[in-house]
Amino acid sequence: MKNKQLTKAAPTKLESRSLTLTWLSLKVFIAHYRHAPLQAGAILLGIALAVTLLIGVKATNDNAVRSYSDATELLSQRADVLLTPPLGKNSLNESVYFALRTAGLSQSLAVVNGKISGKNGQFWQLEGSDLIAALTLQQSKNGASAETSPTSSPQMNHLPLAELLSGAPTVIMSQSLAAKVASDGKLILENSSLDVISIDDSFGLGSAILADISLAQQLLNMQGQLSYIAMFSERADLPQLKSQLDALGITPQKASFSQQDQGQALVALTRSFHLNLNAMSMLAFVVGLFIAYNGVRYSLMKRQKLLVQLLQQGIERRALMTALMLELVLLVVIGSSLGFISGLQLSHWLQPMVAMTLEQMYGAHLLPGIWQWTWLFEAIALTLAAALAACLPLYRDLTRQALAQGANRYQQMQAHRKTHSIQFASACGLLGIAALLFPFSQSYNISLVLLGTVTIAIPLLLPQLLHWGVSALMPLARPGLWQYLLAETRELIAPLSLAMMAILLALSANVSMNTLVGSFEQTLRTWLETRLHADLYIRPPSQRIDTIQTQLMHDTRVSGLYQQWQIEAELSLPASAKNASEQTIPVSLLSRDDYSVRHTSALKESLPTLWQSYFNAHVILVSEPLALKYQLKLGDNVSLNALAKTGNSQAIIGGIYYDHGNTRNEVIISQPLWQQAQLPLLPISLAASFHGDKQGSKITETALDQLQIELAAELGLSQAQIYSQTKIKTQAIAMFKRTFSITLVLNSLTLIVAAIGLFSACLMLTQARQAPLARLYSLGVSRNALRGMVFMQMLIVVLITCLLAMPTGALLGYLLINKITLQAFGWTIKMIWDWQAYGHAILIALATCTLAVLLPLYWQTRKPLVASLQQETL
Amino acid sequence: MKALNLKCMLWAAIGLMLIGGCDKAPSMQNTQPKSMANVVGKTSGTQDDQAYTPVVPGYKFEFPRDHLTHNGFRQEWWYLTANLTTEKGEQLGAQWTQFRVALKSSKQSIKDTLPKDQSTWATDQLYLAHSALTSSTTHLAHEKWSRRHSEFADVTLNPYQIRLDNWRWQSETNALFPATLTVENPDFSYQLKLNSQAPLQYQGDNGYSLKSRDGQVASYYYSQPFIEISGEISRNGKVERVTGQGWLDREWSSQFLTKTQQGWDWFALRLNDGSTLMLFQLRDQSPTEAATNTPISAFYSARRMFADGTGRNINSTDNPNDIQMTPLKWQHTVNGDYPVSWQVRIPSENINLTITPLNPNSAMPLSTPYWEGPVLLSGSHTGTGYMELTGY
Repeated sequence: MKNKQLTKAAPTKLESRSLTLTWLSLKVFIAHYRHAPLQAGAILLGIALAVTLLIGVKATNDNAVRSYSDATELLSQRADVLLTPPLGKNSLNESVYFALRTAGLSQSLAVVNGKISGKNGQFWQLEGSDLIAALTLQQSKNGASAETSPTSSPQMNHLPLAELLSGAPTVIMSQSLAAKVASDGKLILENSSLDVISIDDSFGLGSAILADISLAQQLLNMQGQLSYIAMFSERADLPQLKSQLDALGITPQKASFSQQDQGQALVALTRSFHLNLNAMSMLAFVVGLFIAYNGVRYSLMKRQKLLVQLLQQGIERRALMTALMLELVLLVVIGSSLGFISGLQLSHWLQPMVAMTLEQMYGAHLLPGIWQWTWLFEAIALTLAAALAACLPLYRDLTRQALAQGANRYQQMQAHRKTHSIQFASACGLLGIAALLFPFSQSYNISLVLLGTVTIAIPLLLPQLLHWGVSALMPLARPGLWQYLLAETRELIAPLSLAMMAILLALSANVSMNTLVGSFEQTLRTWLETRLHADLYIRPPSQRIDTIQTQLMHDTRVSGLYQQWQIEAELSLPASAKNASEQTIPVSLLSRDDYSVRHTSALKESLPTLWQSYFNAHVILVSEPLALKYQLKLGDNVSLNALAKTGNSQAIIGGIYYDHGNTRNEVIISQPLWQQAQLPLLPISLAASFHGDKQGSKITETALDQLQIELAAELGLSQAQIYSQTKIKTQAIAMFKRTFSITLVLNSLTLIVAAIGLFSACLMLTQARQAPLARLYSLGVSRNALRGMVFMQMLIVVLITCLLAMPTGALLGYLLINKITLQAFGWTIKMIWDWQAYGHAILIALATCTLAVLLPLYWQTRKPLVASLQQETL
Repeated sequence: MKALNLKCMLWAAIGLMLIGGCDKAPSMQNTQPKSMANVVGKTSGTQDDQAYTPVVPGYKFEFPRDHLTHNGFRQEWWYLTANLTTEKGEQLGAQWTQFRVALKSSKQSIKDTLPKDQSTWATDQLYLAHSALTSSTTHLAHEKWSRRHSEFADVTLNPYQIRLDNWRWQSETNALFPATLTVENPDFSYQLKLNSQAPLQYQGDNGYSLKSRDGQVASYYYSQPFIEISGEISRNGKVERVTGQGWLDREWSSQFLTKTQQGWDWFALRLNDGSTLMLFQLRDQSPTEAATNTPISAFYSARRMFADGTGRNINSTDNPNDIQMTPLKWQHTVNGDYPVSWQVRIPSENINLTITPLNPNSAMPLSTPYWEGPVLLSGSHTGTGYMELTGY
């Protein structure tokens, strides 16, 4: 068929001869692929998978980042200024809002928000605002921003304003959330049943529940109080606005004024998270490209004879080269487009997961997804660049081959061996550099780059190690088929090396991520064990906390009562060599009762005299994330604005405590100091321990459950406001499993991509080896022995790779835990090797390999022997 | 887009003045067959409407009660227009309106079923207010929205005040006058002292003002067309003293237009003989008529009023052909085309006026777009006044 086309074409003399020849070659190649769809399929699959993961993560990331900067007051626009509760308060009086409105600062929005307990003790974020103000705030700044807003939605026309404004039990939710949690249009919050109105996701409610302020104040028990006031003003008018507020008597004692940063803080806060995702997607992209490259190489090998024939027929090398490149471009465009579509779908699946993580860790709302054509073009460009860079040398070699058919196979092998040792040497070099630099890396950005270096080095080690591994096995082999088996395995390393590199990369990444997650979970568990000492934890509504505290104090069942106080404050670092100017950090300032602080602070390090000085002097404890982020050390002098009333806002860091799972900056001060600073006297949460049946014994689980129900009734609290220790532990761990779910999913996807790569490589290789196998068969080796041999060969290669994945996975895991996570989140985690995850990953690799070997062997048995014998050799 | 749509949504929700401002609103006008309008009490055809307090003849006005809100009725407004002159002799127009819209009729009120300790924010009333300042060259207009809240948007006594944020009618007592009207905006403000000695004027049949030929639609409507004004206006920070005359309209109803009425042309005119003339036409044209270019059949109503409290009514029902109104000139504005100049003839009153706008570009580009601005009179009488054109 190929020849027929050529002979038909040969006499055609056109002016642009070279163009015609290119076109003809291309047609031949297309015919070739039609003949061997598996080859084209493997290349397309590789490209499509690579682009899928790239686009999937890119869309997810871009959307999250866009959400931060586009985040608006619910149903309204982005606030420019926030009036927040004054120092030491959790809410501000709504009279501040009335003063603003009466003074004509109508571009203001009163907001109450808070957590509210649902049916199964789960908490919901309830946002309440004056809906009319939210809906009608003028787009005063510029009309331009209006164009990006969603178009009209029929749902909005059906907002039952009458119900909403009159404080009727009606809340608004995004459609997708409503479908999940209130499919019957009802939601139970704080023991009352609420009607749910669902509106289009494009209004950006995310997973918040929106209510009119008339209802929200009641549900949150915040009558007469606001959480904050969002104000909308032109940037240039801000100084004027401030003086206006002063004139109205809205002083910092009534409300704190804070300018909004248009999402910058959130972008900075979540950067490490997105960087991680990006790194994962690049890893998956590379793994996918390995497959594609492998496919291209294989198809070229299969066409070696054909290419020589074409050259012999008089096709110019340049035309041939152009045709090959055109072919690649075509494959990349088709593959990328397929990957683009599936990538968007993937992002669609990933986004809820990411939204969950971002909301739980950073309190960020995600807007519904958008996508852009530019992503497709970026993907095509990136894939094309990578593919061309990878394939050009191949093409060049091929088109330059001697016209006299048949490259010298021995020479080829030698060349491969040389490449492999160069790869090994460079890998060692890269690892050396990383090892040298890692101790000096202080920021996770640099660490991530170094981690990338290690990641690149790991697969480069593989071919050489495979050679050594197989050679090491040689003396063990019995003469005959066994030795043939091993000798041939060495030959197989070169064609398999790429797929094996991909699988090694994926395995190492998978093992390391699993190690990280497993270690984190274990560390969290131990930490919670120390942190939680009471039997029940109670978080009553603020106005009832006093009565409940008294009630518990007089309750004879209670053996110990513990309190926690909390406000938002600012920590200032003195100007130092590093920071030219004073640095102000927003922190959560906590205080706990003396017993709790002494016994439940999981201290990382502390001054030797900590407890003596802690209760008497200005000595504070800071959380590990805070200490790491700002490089605070024991004995450092800092100042806390909340201590102003003690006459001295300076304090010394006396201890640093672990604060796993918390990304916020936290500071703990002693109760005496808290009182001295005249901070709010009412705690925000209580904890209680109870007497067991016998004197001095601990209360049993069942007795505690019973007690919890009794107490809820006695204190008039909902079940959701009382937590048992076990419940907190389970919930905390469940939450952090979800936090890492996105990373684990991406990781598994990468492993799947690599498995597919391995499958296609094994498949093609076994197919290609049909001729030698058929030869062996005709020489009298039984089919079973042949199958066993082929399987054994693959198994050896895969097992050596898996073996290598153990130290490399451990290395990556170590770096992830002790460098990246520590630097990005500030959590010290004890590394625990996860054998199960390792076994799991190996199992996938082996299963894939088995399937990939057996399938072509099975096909082969169904073909006549002659057909196999006639196959072109490798 | 978003803000606009949300406002359309609000307009649709409140069902006020369905005069084609939003793309969505018109669909609510013309869905019912015309025959529905003939069924007594079902003019607008929805059950919702029936639940609002109907407007019936023979209402006894009582003050200060009727200066306050009538929450059982769907809509209500306090509408002041003023023709002012600066010390330099420049002619200006000032407008201030506060609208009230009930989201739910009192009969259906959800409030009753709610717990007693409900929030002070809970309400079923919505306010919006418009303010404008017009000179021969510029026309500035603003709008404010709010839920009813006793702290910043309400109409209350002791003393009487109508307010929405920092726009406020503040009387000295529980009577309408004397009062100070304060409106503050970034680009213009005014503070006007209002006073009037003249008795209130009841429009239509003792304040029962018909709005359709078939008598199906009506409102309660009283006016004070004789208000003396002095005060200050400020344009872009420049303060000027002004004096002039004002006109207050108070109106409330549960339905304002029939299904086929497209809008109205309303005039508040001060003639140089000391009398005033309230005049409006409600343009009636069903969609099919509009499609076939059938001429508009209008419902007219007018009242010639005197400072001693007396007056004469002229309307389409009694004198079908006594009022003739002809548009003379159309002006293209940001809101579309409006007939900004008119010929008005009322032979029985010996009135033949040519009405021209002080500023033909007095379109109000607000949630509901309309045209409202000061006018000058010539012909049988001279004088000044205000004109409002809606539904174009």
